[in-house]
Amino acid sequence: MSGIASPVEHQVIPARPGRRDSRRSAALRLARRRESLLIVMTVAVFSITTALEPSFDTSGNINFMLESAMPLAVLAVGQTMVCLVRGIDVSVAPILGIAAVSTGFLAQDDGSSYVLMLPLALAIGAGLGVVNGLFVTYARIPPIITTLGTLSIYAGIELSLVGSSAVQTLPASYSTLNTGTLLPDISYLLVIGVVVTILAALFLWRTTLGRALYAVGNNVEAAFRAGIRVNAVLVSAYALTGLIAGLAGLVYLVYYRGAEGGSGITENLNLLSIAAVLIGGTTLTGGKGGVVGPFLAAIFITVADEAVLVAGVNPDWQPAGVGLLLLLAIMLDRNQSGRRSLREVLLARHPKLPLAPPNEATP
Amino acid sequence: MSDLQPQARPRKLRRFDVDQRWLAALVGILTVELLVFNLSISGFWSGSGSSGWLGTETFTFTSIIALGVMFVIFTGDIDLSVGALAGFAGIVMGELHLGGMNIWLAVVIALLVSAGIGLLQGLIITFFKLESLLVTLAGQFILGASSVAYEGAVPPSSFPHTFVKVFGTGTVAGIPNQLLIFAALALISVLIVHRTRFGRQLVLVGHNRDAAAYAGIRVSLTRIRAFTLSGLFAGIAGIIIAATFNSVTDYIGTPLLLPAITAVVLGGVNIFGGSGRVAGVIIATFILGLLTIGLLDDGVGNNATSMATGVLLLGALTVKGVMDRRIGLPSLGDRLRGRLPPASSAHSPEAT
Repeated sequence: MSGIASPVEHQVIPARPGRRDSRRSAALRLARRRESLLIVMTVAVFSITTALEPSFDTSGNINFMLESAMPLAVLAVGQTMVCLVRGIDVSVAPILGIAAVSTGFLAQDDGSSYVLMLPLALAIGAGLGVVNGLFVTYARIPPIITTLGTLSIYAGIELSLVGSSAVQTLPASYSTLNTGTLLPDISYLLVIGVVVTILAALFLWRTTLGRALYAVGNNVEAAFRAGIRVNAVLVSAYALTGLIAGLAGLVYLVYYRGAEGGSGITENLNLLSIAAVLIGGTTLTGGKGGVVGPFLAAIFITVADEAVLVAGVNPDWQPAGVGLLLLLAIMLDRNQSGRRSLREVLLARHPKLPLAPPNEATP
Repeated sequence: MSDLQPQARPRKLRRFDVDQRWLAALVGILTVELLVFNLSISGFWSGSGSSGWLGTETFTFTSIIALGVMFVIFTGDIDLSVGALAGFAGIVMGELHLGGMNIWLAVVIALLVSAGIGLLQGLIITFFKLESLLVTLAGQFILGASSVAYEGAVPPSSFPHTFVKVFGTGTVAGIPNQLLIFAALALISVLIVHRTRFGRQLVLVGHNRDAAAYAGIRVSLTRIRAFTLSGLFAGIAGIIIAATFNSVTDYIGTPLLLPAITAVVLGGVNIFGGSGRVAGVIIATFILGLLTIGLLDDGVGNNATSMATGVLLLGALTVKGVMDRRIGLPSLGDRLRGRLPPASSAHSPEAT
């Protein structure tokens, strides 16, 4: 509906603050970024909960929360890639699951080390992602329908891989990865998550393909005319999402010390990753955002979840809470074209039809 | 899209051709399927057992949900909350009945609640100009969680005998009640879409929202009505599920979303809205339903059946896409090379 946004309205690249502006407005812009808001909100939720329940603020608990956010955080970084090109992938949860169970079984049965399993997990994820990308790009099926279809196919594959068993015992090296810390209080899992996010951010900012993702998401036609191979970029976006989802599978395996038939799906990781992307300030209309916001949003969701548990709310309501957060995030986002903020809706009840029809035919 | 072109008329005729051919193909597939099951399943025609051709308890509710989503897809939106809403309607009905309410009153209230939830989602989507995809995705999870929380420790079950008979297991002259309810709803849907002003508005809104607005159609109202109908149909499906299994659980609804959407697009309704035939959707629900019956009868598990649904969805859309393009709809490459104005983008999530 929003059509293709003009490049004037949307900056292609999340400008690094402070290049041309005065120092003061640069600071202001930094403060108004979604990432800053997320950090403030996370700290706020954490402080309030600590005030009510002092045991919340122990280094063990902080570590635990950061660790438990990592499978989701890595998955959200992956989900960002397709969202940048106006896509969506609701098959990331079973991709994570397939990667987790297949590497998990190899590790359990043959004692394969995670160094060997990493390429396998990445390859599985990328392969499944490419399938999504081909359907979206060449069969031109809308992303949500494509990935709903592959969601049921991949979930079926995951279940049939597992059968009636489950991955329960992993070699000792995996436990070291889980419990070990690089520095005191900084666990390996957190380091992995941060490194993945930094690599993904560098990829988006510093490589041709990364820039092409923004260009295609912003304006397909302009990107095409600028000589970008649009279809190849689209398939790459889905491949990257799959690849990172495969990596998230390995993180999942290490964090949960096992995997089973419904891994990824039972934890609602599909919705949670989309929610993290949107709350992190990356839009589903493409070409805007980055991976740092979704990463921080995943941590925020996890901390908020824990806080709500501490407050004594029935955990059954957790999906509803995330659903509401998702609604709130898209309502607050005023940057998307054609979007009306709550205030606008309340003040102007009768939207006027534009005098001239827009140039583009809308779907 | 195509009506902007000077050569609009021949293209429109050929477009009509696609719909006709698709319908013919669906009838063909259904015939083949019936023949195959006629040979492979003994007693296929004889009864309404779970492997008979009237073994509707395996798919009628999916078909009813599909009819509801169809209205929304016609307008170019999508409703991902219908499965969860069906489950929620069943839970509401069951809990009200457990609380001592008359079962029929509980049914009416559950239907009103589900239509109201559809209405609310439509209002949120049109008032705030949000993507239906996201709002209904959030709705799916809110409804799912509400079902779990409302249901409590003991899921409602053991409904009155007459209720179970009327909406579930009963038959009239050998035909299951569920099938009769579905037939009635299907007939109503055909009449709404193809014989009323609202139906024409529905399709035009999906075909070209701006054109509809300039033609004086209240686009938002039309979309809201579509979402309300979708909610109501999901509610009816939820009641039928409750009666068929004589119990409701929180997780029963959500998996029905995918087969319902599959039935709609397999039935030839354009996923971007604006074209399609209700008859196609009705035939497609039978194709899918019989496939489920056949696969389950062959001893294939639920898991593989759901995989087959996914394969069918992607396969049908790929084939339909190829057919559409052969017939002369502009391809993305054509549009980008400037031969045609940009139309709907396959890569826009909102286009769904």
